[in-house]
Amino acid sequence: MSLFTITKVRKTFQNGDSKEEILKGVNLSLREGEIAALVGASGSGKSTLLTIAAGLQSASDGQVLFEEKNISAMNQEQIREIRSKKFGFIFQFSHLVPFLTVQEQLMLMLDVSETELKKSEQKREVDKILQLVGMEHRKHAYPSSLSGGEKQRVAIARAIIHKPKVLFADEPTASLDSKRSKEVMELIREITKTLNITTLIVTHDEEMLSYTDHIIKMSDGLILKNKELIH
Amino acid sequence: MMNLAFKEIKKNKVRFLILGSIIFLVSLLTYIISGLANGLSQDNASLIKDLPEGHFYMNPEAEETYNLSRIDSSLQEEIVNDYQDATALSIQMGFLDDRNGKQQSVVFVTSTESEIFNDVKDGEILLDRSLEDKGIKVGDMLTNPQFSGEFIVKGFVDQTKFSHAAVAFINMEDYKEIYKVNEMQLVFIPKENSPHEITGLQSFTKQEFLKTIPSYSAEQMTLNMIVWFLVVISGMLYAIFFYMMNVQKIGLYGILKAIGVKTSRLFTMMWTQMFLITITSLALSIAISQGFNTIAPEGMPFSLTIETTLILSGVFLMIGFIGTTIASLQIKKIEPLQAIQQGEM
Repeated sequence: MSLFTITKVRKTFQNGDSKEEILKGVNLSLREGEIAALVGASGSGKSTLLTIAAGLQSASDGQVLFEEKNISAMNQEQIREIRSKKFGFIFQFSHLVPFLTVQEQLMLMLDVSETELKKSEQKREVDKILQLVGMEHRKHAYPSSLSGGEKQRVAIARAIIHKPKVLFADEPTASLDSKRSKEVMELIREITKTLNITTLIVTHDEEMLSYTDHIIKMSDGLILKNKELIH
Repeated sequence: MMNLAFKEIKKNKVRFLILGSIIFLVSLLTYIISGLANGLSQDNASLIKDLPEGHFYMNPEAEETYNLSRIDSSLQEEIVNDYQDATALSIQMGFLDDRNGKQQSVVFVTSTESEIFNDVKDGEILLDRSLEDKGIKVGDMLTNPQFSGEFIVKGFVDQTKFSHAAVAFINMEDYKEIYKVNEMQLVFIPKENSPHEITGLQSFTKQEFLKTIPSYSAEQMTLNMIVWFLVVISGMLYAIFFYMMNVQKIGLYGILKAIGVKTSRLFTMMWTQMFLITITSLALSIAISQGFNTIAPEGMPFSLTIETTLILSGVFLMIGFIGTTIASLQIKKIEPLQAIQQGEM
């Protein structure tokens, strides 16, 4: 059964007097626990599709079903609640909160997701996830003292600490060198498979595709190729 | 719930310390000027301000200039008899010479028999205590060129000034001799909420009468305007500070919104920071201004009541809240997408 179903999604932007159609009726399904990659040239509409699926912007037309609920018909507060409890996000840049330590970044995410865990249990959970991303030794550090790779590891930890159903990653390795990119992708695959998190990644890096189960190639607002891989 | 407000202050101490210092200095300046305004007001008109609530009456032909007013003697007698505690009085600038020929500027005040004003016998004088500091003692003999006799100092009264000069209470007959008049200038009727209709006289509340004193309104208006300008400036400071902070943090707010942080939580964070900084700064400036209130030199017209301080503090908090809220309205408009498309914060 599909966890995520996108049906005939269109996105149009007003550009001066003319209208620009970024998505031209996209259909897509994601299965539970799979890692799907959206690839394509710049301007193909992959990032727009990801942000619509994640409820960060609305579609001009079409439907986004998550757990059989229509996100497109929800109000801002309902979407926010889904984002905080069921979705996780990794961006091109880590976007960590500069005045929180690594441990606090994760505690904040648990707080936002309205976890029922007690304080002591939250701390244990944070330690566990930090161990998973290999950052437990830096839990009292502020983002300013972390390297690019370390920041992205913390961003991954923040994205999964509340055990989301779906992880959205927009060019998660774009700001990293080749070695660090591979490490981060390995980590994402390992964690999402362990926790059975469905993942939708936007990437332009062909090398990263080997870590995914499903490749969706986009061009000019349409899906050109939809290919499932067998690992 | 994690307190983001405290965590940000802890990490960015210098930034918040600068805002706190500015608020501290502006509020301290406001309290000090307010103290001076009140002190000068006391110095200018404590004779009138310390009277019980009531109404003044003067001749309309005087065109609100009390020392040009003359109350007809028969009308005065009628009023004093008809209205309980009604008093006819006169106030006039003058001076006194001591035995060494040293001259002191005073305001002669005289009244009909009354519980409100001090009862002074012929040849006696009661002075404001500020003259005691100038070397005048009880029992001293003082003179005035227009007065045939001598005044004996019977005592001193606290905080009784008019037009920045010490008040000298004298007997009505002595007053009439000095100023060659038979009529009093004013009538004061206490304990009345609304003025009586007295034919041929114009009524004034205490506040209205204070405004007829030359220089009083101009002095108070100037100082009060400075006080309110400072209050408005502090509100603008909050708005500018938080606006600048928010501009720098648009990306951060966008990301926080993207991961599901409620906008109301971001507002609460800002308000908590504002209240924390303001209350700390105000506490410090209240302590210093109240300390100054107790150690201010005797001759300095400075009077800052706790009541005034608390009212001003309330206004500071309110204006800070408004300034911060206006600056924070932009948070409402921030779209998570904006932040994601931006670079690293």
